[in-house]
Amino acid sequence: MKISAGKMLFFVGLIIISAIAAQMYASVKQRERIVSPPQAEYSTLFPVKINAPKPLAEIATDQKDAKGNAILVSCQSCHSVRSPNPQNGSAGPLISFHQDLDFVHGKLVCISCHNPEGYYADFRLASGESINPENVMTLCAQCHGPQFRDYQNGSHGGMTGHWDLRKGPRQRNHCVDCHDPHKPAFPLFRPVAGPNDRFTPHQTKGTHE
Amino acid sequence: MSDSNASLPIIDNPGVNRRRFLKTAGATLGLAAWAAAMKPLLDLTPEVNADEFLQKHYRELTPEQKAVVFKRLEEEAKAEYDVDVTISDPPPMENVLFGYALNLSVCIGCRKCAEACHIENNHDRASNNSYICVFEMEKGGIDFEKGNATYDHPVPAPGKYYMPVQCQQCENAPCVTACPIEATWKEKDGIVVVDYNWCIGCRYCEAACPYHARRFNWEKPEIPAEEVNPDQSYLSNRIRPQGVMEKCTFCLHRTREGRLPACLEACPTGARVFGNLLDPDSEIRWVIENKRTFVLKEELGTKPRFFYYFDE
Amino acid sequence: MVEAQIPSPPAPQKNSAVLSYLGFLRRATGVATDGEWYFYVWMIVLSGIALVGANAWAQQVRDGMIVTNMSDHVSWGLYIANFTFCVGLAAGGVMMVIPAYLYDDEEMHQVVIIGEAVAIAAILMSTLSVVVDLGRPDRFWHLIPGIGKFNWPLSMLTWDIIVLNGYLLINLHIVGYLLYMRYLGRKPNPKWYIPFVFLSIFWAISIHTITAFLYCGLGGRPFWNTALLAPRFLASAFVSGPAFIILSMRVMRLLTDFHFSPKPANTLIRIIRVSMCVNLLMLFSEVFTLFYTGGSHASSAQYLFFGSHGANGLVPWMWASIVLNIVGAILFFTPAALRRENTRIVACLFCIVGIWIEKGMGLIIPGFIPSTLHEVVEYSPSLIEWKVTAGIWAFGLLILTLILKLIASVFSYDLSRKISMKQNVVPEETPATTSMPVETT
Repeated sequence: MKISAGKMLFFVGLIIISAIAAQMYASVKQRERIVSPPQAEYSTLFPVKINAPKPLAEIATDQKDAKGNAILVSCQSCHSVRSPNPQNGSAGPLISFHQDLDFVHGKLVCISCHNPEGYYADFRLASGESINPENVMTLCAQCHGPQFRDYQNGSHGGMTGHWDLRKGPRQRNHCVDCHDPHKPAFPLFRPVAGPNDRFTPHQTKGTHE
Repeated sequence: MSDSNASLPIIDNPGVNRRRFLKTAGATLGLAAWAAAMKPLLDLTPEVNADEFLQKHYRELTPEQKAVVFKRLEEEAKAEYDVDVTISDPPPMENVLFGYALNLSVCIGCRKCAEACHIENNHDRASNNSYICVFEMEKGGIDFEKGNATYDHPVPAPGKYYMPVQCQQCENAPCVTACPIEATWKEKDGIVVVDYNWCIGCRYCEAACPYHARRFNWEKPEIPAEEVNPDQSYLSNRIRPQGVMEKCTFCLHRTREGRLPACLEACPTGARVFGNLLDPDSEIRWVIENKRTFVLKEELGTKPRFFYYFDE
Repeated sequence: MVEAQIPSPPAPQKNSAVLSYLGFLRRATGVATDGEWYFYVWMIVLSGIALVGANAWAQQVRDGMIVTNMSDHVSWGLYIANFTFCVGLAAGGVMMVIPAYLYDDEEMHQVVIIGEAVAIAAILMSTLSVVVDLGRPDRFWHLIPGIGKFNWPLSMLTWDIIVLNGYLLINLHIVGYLLYMRYLGRKPNPKWYIPFVFLSIFWAISIHTITAFLYCGLGGRPFWNTALLAPRFLASAFVSGPAFIILSMRVMRLLTDFHFSPKPANTLIRIIRVSMCVNLLMLFSEVFTLFYTGGSHASSAQYLFFGSHGANGLVPWMWASIVLNIVGAILFFTPAALRRENTRIVACLFCIVGIWIEKGMGLIIPGFIPSTLHEVVEYSPSLIEWKVTAGIWAFGLLILTLILKLIASVFSYDLSRKISMKQNVVPEETPATTSMPVETT
């Protein structure tokens, strides 16, 4: 055989380089191949529904039943016969009703939001204008402007359903779904159990299986 | 042998035959021992079968072949988990690039998102696995060294804030570059997916990921039949085989059909915002344009599509 | 199985090259598997350990990687640590080629082949270490370019696969060719191996560099993400490889008829002296940069050297490694290392173990502790992992024994002929017929 080592190496090199080039070409080709989904037409968008606030119908009195639970009474029973005292700023002086009311909401007083005439079913804006429970978010927005702005732009308040309204509707929380209007600060949560990785530090069991 | 006739004294040595015999016996014994040592392989679950072995890469499957594969996977789920599942394969949507944002001011660290992920994505029950890791961080910085992912006390604790971390669906995903066999890649809508039937389980991607976003199936996932989420897709939440990587896909089986991801729906405080980055009217775009968002480990150049922000 | 034969004296081969090469292989197998009782004991012990490892691996494939102590936080463990060391060993094995050819050190030529043999065994071990680390070894074919999907040139792992396999082929070629020529009694044609020897020098550097790139290319792991990693790998390989070769030569000298002049070992010790200093210097620079700067980049080093958050599983390992390396280096620097065998052997063992820890447990594991999000989850290998790793070492040593034995047989015959001819003495009739060249521990 008269093939010199140099030639041999040259050919081996040539083969390797062409294999490399082919591989690169193939990988580039591969990247170009992309799936294109069928184009769909959407004429209408699905609605975004906001949870309606639950109307309040009963209130705890100072009376307890045999089991020690507070006896509830319909709002009507008192509010139809006696008019509220606009001077009341908290539930403290109310010794025989509104017993479960824990009020921690800035310096507000009852009539800051409640309409004295409409008691539980009617609210009033700072302007004195009356507002019904469905639109109560406007009431909150009087003070919580940034939150309301964020809510309107989808970055405050939980939601479920569709991000793409062309495909389906969306359900959004109302302020009062998460915040108790009388004590709006978020309550403490017991977190869901954390990761249970075999070797996480909090784990006492050090072995597997 | 013919060419061994260069006569050597050893030929007539009676020891040679004995030695030859011993060698043959030794070799036979060796083979038997080898077979015995490898016996555990015979107990392998039926999931390792010829069809599975020969299956092509996801992106090389024709629609017909995909149908066959999905049917086989459904049958396997029936056989192994005793549950009727449907395996879909929603393609990326046109003109959609998914983005996610998370409001650290309102996240309270309740881990509801992690729980929802656990259920939605058919994770192994015993390990309580989830693609989301929630860190309890000390106010005053974003220092994971002071973070704690295994807290177990009522939240939010004073002086702390909470930072859920999941796959950031990086534009420059280090995991995709690392994979030696293209078993993981970035889809057109920006989601990094894994072909669980192509991955060889070398875990190089897990080493490469700066966000601890990838998980390995150290064993076959165990899920009671009644807890299996039967609404599955090939690239996302189908029950993964043993020995392969898995990761968050922004619930692509949901989001590619226009639905919100499971972690977002589960969030009780609305800290999570999801949407199409290409749509100028989307919520996610509003957040990026109006909030001071940041990404994790920006200095690494991974260009995440997961944004964090604080309210003022 | 063919009767155990000494490779025949250079019988003129008239057959085609292929047939005669097959004949050579057949005889080589015969020679390599023939020996004294202690050879068989050694081989049986190694096979036993390899079988235990194979069995442990089969269990791991069946039950999943859960039988290891790796986790999503520490996703690589003993296997990859051992892989890194073995790659270094393979690279270092060829280092003795450099003085032999680049500086025309004639004395080194005869032991170059030992280095190549060590390289072959080490490459096999590193390949096996990666295979046992795979979660799905049944899908191995996905890695084969052309049939599978080879993410080349993006993934550093594909580069590593290419260089490791290429290196194995080059070394198989060189060893096979040199042995074959000896067997035929011909003078090896430099054209057919010198280019490959030079190629293997560069290739040896590339395998360890690229293995370092596997780690230091990962931006998310600050402990690895340092430009000094590849040079450090090379420096330590220049220690562990030659040290391993010195040990092999010692064993061969004790148990076979293949004799070396003392010069090559001394050249190797000089290489080790320099490399060990460079290695320790770079280690020190690394440690200085980390601790003097501090911050979260130092947290892995903090964990490695002093423990952090109450976790200190690697501290004893790392300090043991540093002590072994320093003591080994000091021993190598004593004049006794060039004269007294035992000092040299102890120094070699110290450095090999020290570097095994430094490149393995001390480099791979702390890359994961703390994790990228600073969770501290510790790792110590499970029994299965130890078994599999021991099995891989047993297999590697088994292959090395066979190759070295073959080399000893082929070369000692040849050498004895040469010497006898030089001295004009009729050689004793086939010197090694009854006492086969055997080597063992």
